[in-house]
This record gives sequence, C-alpha cells and structure tokens, in this order.
Amino acid sequence: MAAPMSYKGSNTTMIDLSQHYSKIDTSYALTAKDALGLKLFQAKGEGYKLTGEEFYYLRRLHRINAVESQTNLWLFLGAGIMDVKKNNRSDDQAYVSPTIQADYETRRLYIMGSYQLMRVAHDNFDTSKFKAGFSFYKTSYEETQPWFILEFSHTNSVSEKLEIVPTLRLINKALYFEAGISTAGDPKLHLMYTF
Amino acid sequence: MKKIAYLLLIFLSLNSYAATQRVEVMGMVCAFCAQGIEKSLQTIKDVNDVYVNLDNYFVIIESKNTVGIPDEMIKNIIVDAGYDVKKIETINASVKEIRAKYEKK
Repeated sequence: MAAPMSYKGSNTTMIDLSQHYSKIDTSYALTAKDALGLKLFQAKGEGYKLTGEEFYYLRRLHRINAVESQTNLWLFLGAGIMDVKKNNRSDDQAYVSPTIQADYETRRLYIMGSYQLMRVAHDNFDTSKFKAGFSFYKTSYEETQPWFILEFSHTNSVSEKLEIVPTLRLINKALYFEAGISTAGDPKLHLMYTF
Repeated sequence: MKKIAYLLLIFLSLNSYAATQRVEVMGMVCAFCAQGIEKSLQTIKDVNDVYVNLDNYFVIIESKNTVGIPDEMIKNIIVDAGYDVKKIETINASVKEIRAKYEKK
C-alpha cells in the first residue's frame, strides 16, 4: 500500500506528525482507480512556513498484479490555497500541484519514488521522495508485519538538505503505522487507517 | 415409508455442505491491501465466512447456501479491491477446516 487509496467505497485517513511537517489527509475511493481527497498541511523550513488546504484527485494510472508482486503508477492532481510566510511576510496563494508516483512491492520488499511539482507564485517547493525497505519476515494475514524503510526526501526552498529517515513500519490489516527519526534528529510519525 | 423418507431427509441435510470457493488472487502482497477483499466479500449477504491466505495467494469464501457466490460477482469484488483473479474453484471443506490446516504451523 503506497498511496492513500484502498478498495472501492473505502475511506482512507492519514496523519503525519513531525517537527517540520504535519498533515491530515482523508480520501474516498470512488472506484478501484479513482479517489477524491482533502488534506491540510503545515511545513516549516529555512525561513519559510507553509500552511495549506488542498483538494486532490488521485488516479491509479497503471497496476501490474503478479503472483508475488504489485507494481503501481499513480497520479495526484492537487489544487489549493497556501499561506506562505517568509521573512515576516505572509501571502495567501492559490496553487496547482501534480504528483507522479511509482512503487513496487512484494511481501518482503518495498520501493517507491515520487515527484511533486509545487510552484507557488515565484517560489518552487517541488518535493522528491524515494523509499526503499524490507520486511523482517513474512507474516500471516492476521499478524502484524514489521518493516524497515529508509526514506530520502527533499523539498526545494524549505530545506537545502536531503532528509534521510530510517523508519519502522508496522502493518496490521486496516492499520498502517510508521515511526522514524531523521538523521538530523527530527522524530516522525505516520498513521494511516482505512474503513 | 414416511419415516424412511424423513430419516433420509435428515441424513441428506446433515451431509449437505455449505458451498466453499477457493479464489487465487494476483497481487495480494500485504494485509493492508488484502483487508479490502475481506471487507468487501463480507458485505455479501450469502457469505458466511472469509479466510485470506497471503502465503499461498488465495481467499476462501464460505457461503450460507449450497450453490456458492457467482464467479462473476467474486471477480468484480476482487477487481474493485484492486486485484486480479487467476482462478475460482469449488472445494469440499469449510473455512474453519482450511484455517486450521494453514494456521497450525
């Protein structure tokens, strides 16, 4: 599971918490390939504080279901209003933000890459992410499965540095939990629930 | 004669299994995703029990009736959950028996 979308008719809710980035996101799957969602987020960085409300459409462009793996290509089309605070100036700006994401998953391996285009007025807040990891062991459907995931991300303007986050991921049916600490010492929590 | 027919009816009803179907599913690699299949199947009123086995990539559906769930309906539900169906077959065992067989390891 790599995108905020599950089976047709389901709701998926996600929460991200960290010192520099917080988000609450909820979406509804209209079909097996389309979802509509709403997210509120706040990002803080070098001189910037971004606060946004975004409505998005998520499309599963392509999926390959093999016996022991799943490969996906996703497109997010987001639009919203963002308050950009920089050097004691604050401006509300409308924005459009497309994201392309690809992932590959087996029962022991997970790889994901995404690029989010986010241009607000003259600022470039594009974000690139790469995640890769493995499960410590296979579990049955009823058991909690632990994973180790290494996440690399970078957001233009907000930070010059590449953020690296070693993460422990736990999956138990409808509940998906991640906890990690970035190499800069920023603790991060991610919770996702589908119903 | 009536008594014999009655006893025969009781005997037959004791031996009539609820239908159980085994569905081989493509792409079922994690419990977070597969729970969509379980939840969707459980919304069908004729479904009595569902068992998901990630190790062997199959789902077992036990019906309340003796004919089972139409293959087309099963396929649609699994495709709507984001997966593909490889094969559907009727088997002669209950979910309880299959669960016991695979979970005792």
